[in-house]
Amino acid sequence: MPTIHLDSLVKRYGEVEVLHGIDLEMADNEFTVLVGPSGCGKSTTLRMVAGLEDVSDGEIYVDGNPVSHLEPKERDLAMVFQDYALYPHMNVAQNISFALRLARRPKAEIDAKVKEVAAMVGLTEFLHRKPGALSGGQRQRVAMARALAKDSGIFLFDEPLSNLDAKLRGQMRAELALMSQQVEKNMIYVTHDQIEAMTLADRIVVMHGGYIQQQGTPEELFKRPANKFVAGFLGMPPMNFLNGEIEDRDGRIFILGEGFAIEIEGEKAEAARKHNHKLITLGIRPSDLRFDPEAPADRSLSLDVMVSEYIGAQSVLICQCGSEKVTVELNSETPVALGTALKFAVNPNGVHLFDRKSESAL
Amino acid sequence: MAQPNQTANSAFFVLIAVLVFMSVGPVLLMFVNSFKLDVDIISGTSGLLFLPTIQNYETALCDILWYEPEHIDFCSLKFGGAFINSLIIALISTALTLVIGCMAAYALVRFRFMGRDTVSLTTLMVRMVPPAVLLVPVFGLWNNEFCLDRDGLIGGAIRDVFGGRGDVCLAGTHTGIILIYVAMNLPFVIWILQSFIVQVPPSLEEAARVDGAGPFQVFFKVVLPLIKPGLAAAAIFTFRIAWNEYLLASALSDRNTKTVPILIVNNMSEFNVEWGVIMATGMLLAIPPIIFTLLASRQIITGMTAGAVKG
Repeated sequence: MPTIHLDSLVKRYGEVEVLHGIDLEMADNEFTVLVGPSGCGKSTTLRMVAGLEDVSDGEIYVDGNPVSHLEPKERDLAMVFQDYALYPHMNVAQNISFALRLARRPKAEIDAKVKEVAAMVGLTEFLHRKPGALSGGQRQRVAMARALAKDSGIFLFDEPLSNLDAKLRGQMRAELALMSQQVEKNMIYVTHDQIEAMTLADRIVVMHGGYIQQQGTPEELFKRPANKFVAGFLGMPPMNFLNGEIEDRDGRIFILGEGFAIEIEGEKAEAARKHNHKLITLGIRPSDLRFDPEAPADRSLSLDVMVSEYIGAQSVLICQCGSEKVTVELNSETPVALGTALKFAVNPNGVHLFDRKSESAL
Repeated sequence: MAQPNQTANSAFFVLIAVLVFMSVGPVLLMFVNSFKLDVDIISGTSGLLFLPTIQNYETALCDILWYEPEHIDFCSLKFGGAFINSLIIALISTALTLVIGCMAAYALVRFRFMGRDTVSLTTLMVRMVPPAVLLVPVFGLWNNEFCLDRDGLIGGAIRDVFGGRGDVCLAGTHTGIILIYVAMNLPFVIWILQSFIVQVPPSLEEAARVDGAGPFQVFFKVVLPLIKPGLAAAAIFTFRIAWNEYLLASALSDRNTKTVPILIVNNMSEFNVEWGVIMATGMLLAIPPIIFTLLASRQIITGMTAGAVKG
């Protein structure tokens, strides 16, 4: 399968620069997910790879060859669009075989391919229906089948699941994950949904404001976010951020803030000691806060419960710590009275420190 | 659901009845009168009691009938020829208008180029000029400009084949009339089709491009099938105008290229107005647009783009 390399890719609309030099290397047979909030440039990047947007500066290499001057049809890629983009005047079989018919492949080959792909996505019974007579999920499958039939090495997804309802989205996500294991292709997947990114990706590329914030495996990004944005973007419920100051008490490093003073150890303490500025932001994921009334004060946060959201086995509590809000998760069976103060132990490995000004991780 | 207003308001039905009578009445009158002798028509006893005759139709169709009707000494009406002229002119001008119109509309909607808005607006402004205003300059141009010298190679060849005298000009030819009809109908067709093309989701075209379609394949295989209803509507409109047009055709056609509307007026002279024949010709004139509209309107299906994209 072809490798893709983006070399300081820039996109300008008139005077406005929306992508500021994207460098990206996609290895063989890799599932890369571009994730970020809307307007971060992820779709633009994908459309540039597809050839649907002009490249303002920089270059796209496929297998080492520059392709940014090529038409989409010369780039050997298949794409699934956010709104499916099915041809409404053709039935499912014709939709799937459109690319093959344009390429003037022999009829027997086309028929075989349509059958194979339709079976793969479970559309065999619907081959003669028009897209208008299909449900949302089925249309999504047709879009997928159409891309699969093309047999190209590069597979592009532009938020393919964002139009489905929550249940169907979960189901399609699982099917996609299965499919990505079965077919050997280089896939680039754009989404704003961090759960899709985490579950599907071999590699996540987090984008924000036209820059790549961080790239790596889902685990790397989750455990060692490079900056406050990545930390806050990945993970559900999102990470809690508390402003604090570093204080060195006879060699022991403390983070002091409004209503808390937590000691940190190991690598993080080392990094904090070396850091020039005292003002930092402390980041702790809800999953790294454990309800423990016995926890010592320098290892825990004392939180006032404001709102309790019951979501089944777990409840999500929104609490107050000083003037800031902290989200924690708690077993629903634990009796909680609103307005009471609870103690939560901080997992020492789950502490993240960010410079308050640059927002990058210490 | 109960709609009490409808049953209560009989004035509404009276209004509808009047409207129906106004639109159907003249056609009915024309139909009835086409089977009457002129004496019956003029006599004023406009009752339904008369002896129906097909004499008028025989007169109208005298040049294409296989037998010679008894009541005609000389076949002066050339309905068959005029009918074929009308068909040629209306069909070719409709086809040309649609081909040029859909491409122009597509370009105006999808491509960004300098002066796009100006072009879009001026096409409609051409439409605002009354055809009568165009007639005089066009008549001059068709008669005196764009002519091929009769001594020249092509002009000479045309004169040898078709006969006639003078230089070969656009005036009096099918081409001349077709060209002016195309020019007259294009603005409206472009405007109709623009609104249809705007509704084709751009992502469909992008999908086709990724699937390996070139610009023309995108247009002919994806865009064109989706704007079929618009093409049909535009075709009906254009055909009807071209078929019925009188003013320009009367000035730009000659004896061999005149269309049916011109022919009808030829039945009026200072001595005699042959109402029966006029009615019969009128009935015959009305048939092709009806057939054309029935065929074309089958293509007008709403919701062509249903299911293309998630709304």
